[in-house]
Amino acid sequence: MIETRGLVRRFGEHVAVDDVSFDVPGGLLTGFVGGNGAGKTTTMRMIMGLLALSAGEVRWQGRPITAADRRRFGYMPEERGLYPKQKILDQLVYLGELSGLTASAARDSAAASLERFGLTDRAGDRVEKLSLGNQQRVQIIAALLNQPQALILDEPFSGLDPAAVDSMVDLLREETARGVPVLFSSHQLDLVERLCDRIVVLRAGRVVVEGTVEELRARGPERLRLVTDGDAGWVRDVAGLDVVAVDGPEALVQVTAPDEGGADAVRRVLLTEGLARGEVRELAVVRAPLSEIYREVTA
Amino acid sequence: MSSPTTPTTPPARRPWRLVARREVVTRLTDKSFLIGTAITLVLLVGFLGWTAWSEGRSDTYTVAATADGLATAELLEEAVPGVDDGIEVEVLEVDSDDAGVAALEDEDADVLLRPADDGWTLVGDEEVDDDLALAVETVVRTTALTANAEAAGTSLEELQRGSTVDTELLEGDAERQDFAEAMGVLLAFLFYFAALGFGYTLSGSIVEEKANRIVEIITTKIPVRQLLIGKIAGNTLLALGQTALIVGVGLVGITFTDYSSFLGDVSAGVGWFAAFFLVGFTFIACWWAVAGALASRAEDLQTTATPLSFLIMAVFFGAFLFEGVVQTIASYVPPFSIVLMPIRVLNGDAAAWEPVVALLLLGAAMAATVVLAERLYRRALLQTQGRVTLKQAWTAAD
Repeated sequence: MIETRGLVRRFGEHVAVDDVSFDVPGGLLTGFVGGNGAGKTTTMRMIMGLLALSAGEVRWQGRPITAADRRRFGYMPEERGLYPKQKILDQLVYLGELSGLTASAARDSAAASLERFGLTDRAGDRVEKLSLGNQQRVQIIAALLNQPQALILDEPFSGLDPAAVDSMVDLLREETARGVPVLFSSHQLDLVERLCDRIVVLRAGRVVVEGTVEELRARGPERLRLVTDGDAGWVRDVAGLDVVAVDGPEALVQVTAPDEGGADAVRRVLLTEGLARGEVRELAVVRAPLSEIYREVTA
Repeated sequence: MSSPTTPTTPPARRPWRLVARREVVTRLTDKSFLIGTAITLVLLVGFLGWTAWSEGRSDTYTVAATADGLATAELLEEAVPGVDDGIEVEVLEVDSDDAGVAALEDEDADVLLRPADDGWTLVGDEEVDDDLALAVETVVRTTALTANAEAAGTSLEELQRGSTVDTELLEGDAERQDFAEAMGVLLAFLFYFAALGFGYTLSGSIVEEKANRIVEIITTKIPVRQLLIGKIAGNTLLALGQTALIVGVGLVGITFTDYSSFLGDVSAGVGWFAAFFLVGFTFIACWWAVAGALASRAEDLQTTATPLSFLIMAVFFGAFLFEGVVQTIASYVPPFSIVLMPIRVLNGDAAAWEPVVALLLLGAAMAATVVLAERLYRRALLQTQGRVTLKQAWTAAD
């Protein structure tokens, strides 16, 4: 498990990362979410030891992290880091050797990964000749070459087509199945919601939310969707709720006092009232999408 | 929480060697580099071939002389080729000095031999060839010495033997000195060529790594110092290799020319040049690395590398322009010492201990530079937002 504890990074007067603490547990995909300039990349660079910490600590397996630990991390920088003019296989072998693999082990590992991504026949091409998606594949191969013990990936999905996203997801799932902690940043909230076991939301250099997707949703307001066979306008008169929208027989309402067990009470009232006026075709709890929760917590 | 089942990989051993190897292999497989080197060698071989060929042929000069000078002119015709095998003399008898001048203007004659108060004057239209003047001077002097000696009652054979040995030495010294000077200029140029060419490549590759962010991947795997050492070592090896190739081909080529007998004299200077080049290039390469790290894009490099380009140019021009005491002092001052001290050794101006001291000074400067440059390089390397100033890099946190 990677733990960050009270990370602070100042650039002159500007505090880019301000007391950031969160966990990246082994075997789980942790999504790192936040707007531009929220401090995601800076935090990831600090975890990787590329930026010195102004304060705080990064821990690995319960102790302060060392350069030797980091060398066995797989890292993918925000903007794709490869030599554009070097041949793909040569480049992967070079990076593998820098990680401590022998030339032959690096070659075997790189060749196997290239085959998996269907890039074997491109092994002799220069990186600049590859499409963006394929460059990204080579990039992730580079990060996985020496069977890393953790993965830190800055925007690994940006620029990928849906098929490439799926194969990237499969790959990351394999890594988490090995017990590897994976932290990746993304702007694509739907993707994060679909993929992640855990989410860390950063705003202006601070962690605003950390937890599983379910935990996050539980923080959001509870909403109920009611579908009747008549006009549903009567919900406006029910106490303990805000009407989000009414459209003919359909109504979306938000419980205003969820903490006092009001949700159940409101549900009962809606059901009783609805049945008194006719049929209730549907009464369901609606989970706010992550994007909405995100907007709320980062607002 | 399960712990990842990762086999432990030991760290890469001496990873700078991997970095250096990549620098060398990348360059050696770069077509433009190979073509550039090949063109340089072809030009060099061509130049040496031309020199050897032009040495083999002799120039013929027409010496105009009036009746007063005719005997001397005929003596020149006979004796000059024996003094300089590249020169032959033809005699053109003219009626008067005016006719001789007219012959010069019409290019019927190259020089006019005219008696002077205490010897002879060679009159040319626009110039008098140096080699011709030297040969004529030698012959005339020999003759004068002969006459003077006879007047003093000495034997002709004895005198000619003595004077012949004397003049050959005089001539050889001058030519040897010219050769040593030409060699110095050539070595200064080679350093300039390598320091600028390989320097730009080095800083360019550092900017490339910064711009592509691959530096972020590399520095999570190996220490920044190892990356810096590897890049400098690789480029120094390339620069040294290319320069050694050029010098080697040049020296072999020279053995086919008349200058081959001088090679023994310049070997000490060339040897010192190799030592100064190795340390000096490393010294300069550190600054090229910093120039690269201060830039974020290739365009920034024009700005960050400009002071360095000027410095290298100053070193190059210092090789010709510095003379006397200034030259002696500058031959101890890095980076000027890189070319000036070997030049002084070539010219025979330096005592045996002098290059040793200058090399130690250069080595100390290099060591200090490595430490400074590593700090600047490390701090500027990961700042990818535009140009970084030296001050920012120096004061920045890691």
